[in-house]
Amino acid sequence: MRALSTAATGMMAQELNVQVISNNIANMRTTGYKRQSAEFQDLLYEHVRRIGTQTSTQGNILPVGIDLGGGVKTVGTPRLMTQGTLNPTGADLDLAVRGEGFFKVLMPDGTFTYTRDGSFQMDNQGRIVTAAGNVVQPGVNIPTNAQSITINSQGQVSATVPGSSTPSVLGQLVLTRFVNKAGLQAIGDNLFVETPASGTPQDGTPNTDGMGDIQQGNLEAANVEAVTEITNLIAAQRAYEMNGKVISAADQMLQSTSQLMR
Amino acid sequence: MASNALIVGLSRQTALQRELDVVANNIANLNTTGYKADGTVFSEFLNANSQFMPPTQRVSFVQDRMSWHDMSQGTIQRTAGPLDVAIDGDGMLVVQTARGERYTRNGALQLNNVGELVTLSGDKVMGENGPITLQQTDRDIVITKDGTIKVREGISVNSDSTRGKLRVVTFASPMSLQKDGASTFAAPDGVTPQPVPDANINVVQGALEKSNVRPVIEMSRMIEVTRAYTEISTILQQQSDLQKNSIQQLAEVPA
Repeated sequence: MRALSTAATGMMAQELNVQVISNNIANMRTTGYKRQSAEFQDLLYEHVRRIGTQTSTQGNILPVGIDLGGGVKTVGTPRLMTQGTLNPTGADLDLAVRGEGFFKVLMPDGTFTYTRDGSFQMDNQGRIVTAAGNVVQPGVNIPTNAQSITINSQGQVSATVPGSSTPSVLGQLVLTRFVNKAGLQAIGDNLFVETPASGTPQDGTPNTDGMGDIQQGNLEAANVEAVTEITNLIAAQRAYEMNGKVISAADQMLQSTSQLMR
Repeated sequence: MASNALIVGLSRQTALQRELDVVANNIANLNTTGYKADGTVFSEFLNANSQFMPPTQRVSFVQDRMSWHDMSQGTIQRTAGPLDVAIDGDGMLVVQTARGERYTRNGALQLNNVGELVTLSGDKVMGENGPITLQQTDRDIVITKDGTIKVREGISVNSDSTRGKLRVVTFASPMSLQKDGASTFAAPDGVTPQPVPDANINVVQGALEKSNVRPVIEMSRMIEVTRAYTEISTILQQQSDLQKNSIQQLAEVPA
């Protein structure tokens, strides 16, 4: 009976749905997290009676046919790359991007990763690094005696050094954007890597050419909305239950058939 | 003609199994964006007049004649995704697949690596002048009610650039469309899409059309199917008992 396997695809899809929702809820307070949604499509159909077949020699055709579907499949878990709200923290090296663009981070193996999590720190050599100690590109060295670090909306890093009244420019941060940012792959630690789907990275100065601006002393909160996730969770759970009911209905029918033979 | 009862019952049971398959598929797609529910229609099938079967003894069987698509509107749910579109009212998006042109109500759109507007399966979504491509520096995408896609280019704040207009089509008889999997419909030969006039297009940005499957209806259909099926099983059982008893009693030879 096909209904059994059809309902099984439905249960598997809802299981995955709950998995995606639970990951969103778990990351509700993760800086720079972008929520995912599970998207489904119907599976192939068996056309038992095909629409448009001739039913008589007079050329009458079937206006409708019999299409039997095989269930549901997960087509993807696209990430919703919308802006999260900015939470002021007051820390000098807490940066948030308002608009397009990712911070570029150099990994120990020499590759680049991209992030919206701008909770940066200073390492022992005075470089701006991520919480994991990877250098934010391009490396900006801040002298140990520097005071009042300022990062303006264009990503220019400046600080005052004792003995000088005017702040001196120490470097310029870059942002990177992709033509399809939803095609980036998350590798954990709030980091994304380039994929064939994302397109090639394009570096640029913040606040120019459609790049977002940098907000110092702010962090971008996750774009997860609790209400949306909870309602989705309820819908997923009910759908799972109903698929289970279909399985028991099919089972009941099979049972009544098998009891025919005594 | 005792065997006829068995065969008539069997024809009904086969049809009921098909119906449960359709119900199962609807329920499996309870959360599928843009999914349209299916229904089944049964008809009576009379066996042919012949010299072996006088007209008074013709037997009618059950035949499942068709499954139809319920093309009614599904609920529109807000998602806030800039590339999520729902069509409120009449119309379907046109998708260019490897198998040819397909039509869909699933507006969970994405961009590909060259900035073209695609579905989640990677098939290009057609605009009125072919595929719609966004530039690398585009931001703040706005999709208007009639499906026009506008963006802000670079850092300009006051001018919108138009990147294309979604092709929205309709069919004289949407029932004749054939489901093609992946939330798409195929048009059989002789069925041609008609453009929806701009004034009637109602594209909602930042929302998706949920499946129009109504769980209560499907659950009650499912109960109905199971009950009918078990009932027929009982009748078949009685028929079989009847035959068994008659054979036993008639063949009983007194000692």
